[in-house]
Amino acid sequence: MLNRIFGLETEYGLLIHEDHPDHSPTWFARKIRDQLFHVQRRGVLDLHHRGHDEPPGNGGFLANAGRIYLDMGHLEYASPECHSLTDVVASDRAGDLLLQQALEELGFSEQVSLIKNNIDHETDATFGSHENYLVSRRFPFSRRGLAPLVTFLVTRQIFTGSGRVGSAAPQDAWIQTDRLIVPRSALGAHQVSDLSFQISQRADYIVNDFFEWVQHNRAIVNTRDEPLADPNQYRRIHLLLGDSNMAEYATALKLGTTGLVLQLIEEGHAPQDLEIDEPVEALQEISQDQERRWLVQLRSQKTMSAVDIQARFLDCAARHCKGQDEETDWVLAQWASVLHDLGDDYQKLVGRVDWASKLWLLECFREAEHVDWVDPMMKSLDLEYHNLNRQKGLYHGLLEEGRAPRLTTDRLIHLAMETAPKNTRAYGRSELIRHLLNDPPPSALDQLPAPDGLFPPYVINWSIFQVRGRAPFPMPDPFRTYLEDVRTHLQSVIV
Amino acid sequence: MKHSMMPERREGPVDPMPKSPSPEDGSGPRRPDTGSPDKDYLMKRMRKVDPKQAERYRQRTGE
Repeated sequence: MLNRIFGLETEYGLLIHEDHPDHSPTWFARKIRDQLFHVQRRGVLDLHHRGHDEPPGNGGFLANAGRIYLDMGHLEYASPECHSLTDVVASDRAGDLLLQQALEELGFSEQVSLIKNNIDHETDATFGSHENYLVSRRFPFSRRGLAPLVTFLVTRQIFTGSGRVGSAAPQDAWIQTDRLIVPRSALGAHQVSDLSFQISQRADYIVNDFFEWVQHNRAIVNTRDEPLADPNQYRRIHLLLGDSNMAEYATALKLGTTGLVLQLIEEGHAPQDLEIDEPVEALQEISQDQERRWLVQLRSQKTMSAVDIQARFLDCAARHCKGQDEETDWVLAQWASVLHDLGDDYQKLVGRVDWASKLWLLECFREAEHVDWVDPMMKSLDLEYHNLNRQKGLYHGLLEEGRAPRLTTDRLIHLAMETAPKNTRAYGRSELIRHLLNDPPPSALDQLPAPDGLFPPYVINWSIFQVRGRAPFPMPDPFRTYLEDVRTHLQSVIV
Repeated sequence: MKHSMMPERREGPVDPMPKSPSPEDGSGPRRPDTGSPDKDYLMKRMRKVDPKQAERYRQRTGE
């Protein structure tokens, strides 16, 4: 899409199909990572400390310029920087397939399932799907400037949510009220509910409108300023409120509509009269509304439905963005289509919107088997919707039956497993990874530290890399490929 | 955000996003027919699911 770089980071769950497993999910996660890097040689492991919880060997960059690593015991895949929705959907699916293929090669596929969801019904654990959007440094990153984005994000779950059985227990958090920071419980917010089904996985875990941390006090807008690019030109909008989507259509629509709303804000065209009175509460109320009326109280005291709010954003985007490129027009048409169908029967959205697909499957099962929502089978079916195993997963069943539209092809996904998008800096990084795979520095072969103890054979980050003996190579502009410059740099004489 | 240097287009077999159906033309995914044989296939897949697997799914909180 026009002037946008997208990225997705996905944490995966590991389900072990045994009563008393010999190994933990983290043990299997390490095995899968090692299969990818040591056996399949899909990329190169980090040889340096990236952070206190990312020691050398914890993960690394792939030949497709994305990353696979362990984060708090979860396998996590970060897509390369993508300039089109087609690329980001294909790259996201490539991450799924890389992990699933490694699991199958290890012979664990009957014992373990990779689950692309965001919750554990039993422990209330949550883990994320993070979205990244590159915007101009001139983006109005203030409460006032971000107000339209908050309204959009709170209401977009009606077509981006993946749905879940039940609800999470009340979350601890500290909330800023005027000049005081108080425990959330003191506000009397979020009573324990007894829900059968809600449309979002993450809504229950979002407890603030703005905050900079990613593990506690999760916010609608994460305020950490870490552009991973030239900070004078760019800002990275990092969102962690969204659900992992199985449907390619939902993934594309989530990123595409959010990208257009960011453009409206950048260009001063976003609607300014839709500020939500209590956005965190509204996020949860919309998700949990069993009648799916999705009514929201605005600061203006007006009440609007989430569908009508989204229609206002769509109207603005159509007026200001239509015709700017083919993907924008696809997003506008599909945005209109889902809003139209949301006003009718949710079953029209099966295959396109994950919560609708899941709800339809669960209702079919309930009707046929005469089971109640509290039956443990409902939570197990909820998980199975997200199973990456094509022979088992319920979303994959919908795909196989032709009920879920494809935006990619198997060939494109396989291409995205091995190659980077050719119109972003990911392409240059991919060249570096291939160079290191084909001609590894001696001490990188067995992950030994540098012989001189000073600098490892290579250090790779999103916006810079350095190969020992050569100068650092900055890549501050994600819109440049740096391909020829990287090749020249790698051929230069080691000093 | 205006960029003086337009990025190169991606090469290779990248299809554009599929042509979108308009909201009115009735195309797009079919409405599920709960009485169709397709439902039987999906029901078969669902009946194979281990009812206890949600209890076995012991995940740590992430980000």
